[in-house]
Amino acid sequence: MKKFAIAALLLLTPLLMNAQENFRERAEFSGYVRGSFQGFSKNYDLSNVFAQFALKGKYSGKHTIFNAEVWFLGGHHFGEFYNRLEIMDAYAGYVSDKFDFLAGNQIVKWGRTDGFSPTDNISPRDYFFLTSDIDDQLRANLMARIKYRFNPYIDLDIIAIPFYKQSNYRFDLFDMGGMAKFGEETNPEFSFSNATLAGRLNFELPGAGFSLSYFRGFDPYHGFNLKGIELDINAPNPMPTINYSSTPYRKQTIGADFAIPSGSWIFRGEAAWNITKGGDDSLFIPLPSLAYVAAVEKEFWGVMGIFQYIGRYTPSYKPIFEPQPAGTDPDQMLLYMGEMVEYQTRLFNRKIFGQQKRSNHAFALTARRSFAYDTITAELTAYYNITSKEFLLRPKLSWTIADNLSMAIGGHIMTGEKESLYDYSGPVMNGLFLELKASF
Amino acid sequence: MKRVFKYFNTLTIILVTSSFAASQNPREISKKSADAIALGSMEMTTTLKIFDAKGNARSRTLNMASRKFGDVTKMMMKFTDPADVKGTSILIYDYEERADEMWIYMPALKKTRRVVSNERGKNFMGSEFTNADMSKPNIEDFDYKIISSENINGRACHVIEATPVSQESLQSNGFSKKVSYIDKENYLCYKIEYYDLKGKILKTQTIGDYRPVEGGSYFYYEMEMKNEQNGRKSVLKTEKFKPQSQMTEAQFSPSNLDK
Repeated sequence: MKKFAIAALLLLTPLLMNAQENFRERAEFSGYVRGSFQGFSKNYDLSNVFAQFALKGKYSGKHTIFNAEVWFLGGHHFGEFYNRLEIMDAYAGYVSDKFDFLAGNQIVKWGRTDGFSPTDNISPRDYFFLTSDIDDQLRANLMARIKYRFNPYIDLDIIAIPFYKQSNYRFDLFDMGGMAKFGEETNPEFSFSNATLAGRLNFELPGAGFSLSYFRGFDPYHGFNLKGIELDINAPNPMPTINYSSTPYRKQTIGADFAIPSGSWIFRGEAAWNITKGGDDSLFIPLPSLAYVAAVEKEFWGVMGIFQYIGRYTPSYKPIFEPQPAGTDPDQMLLYMGEMVEYQTRLFNRKIFGQQKRSNHAFALTARRSFAYDTITAELTAYYNITSKEFLLRPKLSWTIADNLSMAIGGHIMTGEKESLYDYSGPVMNGLFLELKASF
Repeated sequence: MKRVFKYFNTLTIILVTSSFAASQNPREISKKSADAIALGSMEMTTTLKIFDAKGNARSRTLNMASRKFGDVTKMMMKFTDPADVKGTSILIYDYEERADEMWIYMPALKKTRRVVSNERGKNFMGSEFTNADMSKPNIEDFDYKIISSENINGRACHVIEATPVSQESLQSNGFSKKVSYIDKENYLCYKIEYYDLKGKILKTQTIGDYRPVEGGSYFYYEMEMKNEQNGRKSVLKTEKFKPQSQMTEAQFSPSNLDK
């Protein structure tokens, strides 16, 4: 109740202010209520069903800004009932023509490509919060952010994040042979040396936009470390349990992106050189790699098409081979078991990091068309990973029923070769969704 | 003598007609008409109502601002209502000599995207208006001719036909010709008829409630676009208008769209 009162006070404050409806000073209060259903996966009839009440408050003054968004959620998520309050955005700051300083919970998205942005490492995601809009998965970090504008065309964005926050991917829901156990999180100690620092020099010049960026810290897109192997010798048929912990790794990323319009086309691109240390020794750390995306966007006969090539090059890649037992005596078998577990863990982490081969290649195509004067939008995203032979299809139909009421219907279909990530996630995350959202 | 008088009369008519034609260049009239409207530097709040053929209405409210910096007019639009589009912002750099540039910020997307800006004929926010109707017409995109004179609301008007000069201009604007009714005295345009690519009338735009603003120009407080083929119409009503925007160039930058 106390939490609710604080949230309500925070959000209602703009209403108490003298609102001026212009560009320089205004207070806004808005939100939405949403009922969302996703189900019909192989493992879950109802995988993700929830009701949501989102409240947003915003004030933009001459030199003052604050922004808050709070979610009240209740529902059923992969077999568990829940009720929770989540603070999404909640930040305040000083703003001016030259300089902004913002502090609090913020969501930051960097990069100029869509859906696959190798330079976008700031905000974590909850990959299992399944809705009609993939950007609902973004989660805020507590951060301090400075933006300095050299002129209207060039700005510098600097971010400091004191506390690390992991992205959420629920491998505990996947059927991975029964011996693997997920759920534990290992996070870096709270210290200044473990804080994240990032900067982006952004250019929006006539005819082209581009940026250079730098990230130093723990990647929200973490790996899995082997924590131990348990064997219950009192069980009738003793089987080992392999405990995995979600473990982040430190990296530096030097990135660049661009967007260049040419007639009715737009060419976009991003590249990020990820520098990591210890990837040969630690199972949960990826090897240094160059990730890149090249995209082209164009409207054909009313259909907006975005075609993207997504690649990754790992120069120090070395193939790994399945260990073979050296003999049948207990010591050799124990050694073999340890090597096998390490091999499987490394293989699994390489799948997560897209480092199954020295060069990894994938394509994505998004087609979108609006009908009936923008009240109905049909969208289809297809993704195929040539290296891992995984395939994703996401059709969606949105309908604006009235000014404040919209409905979305669609589905997620993922499939891949045996023991690929999509092979594991498909039976859990595939399904149909239906969503009704009223905004105010 | 009678014959001399007849020749004199003919000569007078020719001289008057040619001097009228020389002073009434249709391109110049169209340019004066475009310049009569204070779109270069202003701030306003406007409501867009979209009516379907049955009369059901949808509504959008937006704040707009524009200001000229060097050779570029920068225009920003921020939607304030309804809630599902609230916070969506569009920034347009309208260059005199080169293709326009456009950025869009959508709150759900959490980032500003550069988008293609050359589709002037595309519907504006699902209405009967097009992107082109939101900014000054590109005079160079058309050839002009005066086809007649007519009275509109008791005002004597030139009736000027404008046809796209090139295939690119035709495709970009989305119509084969437009016929504008422009006041002979103050150059205000009261009506424009748009014809589709097959030459059939497509839409009729009526512009009214002109009010004088500082600097001797005018601004229209009401504009209606009726689709003659499907019965839909959209009405743009200006609620607040302020000429001479004081917004700084930094406020018209893409990095400012999310504020």
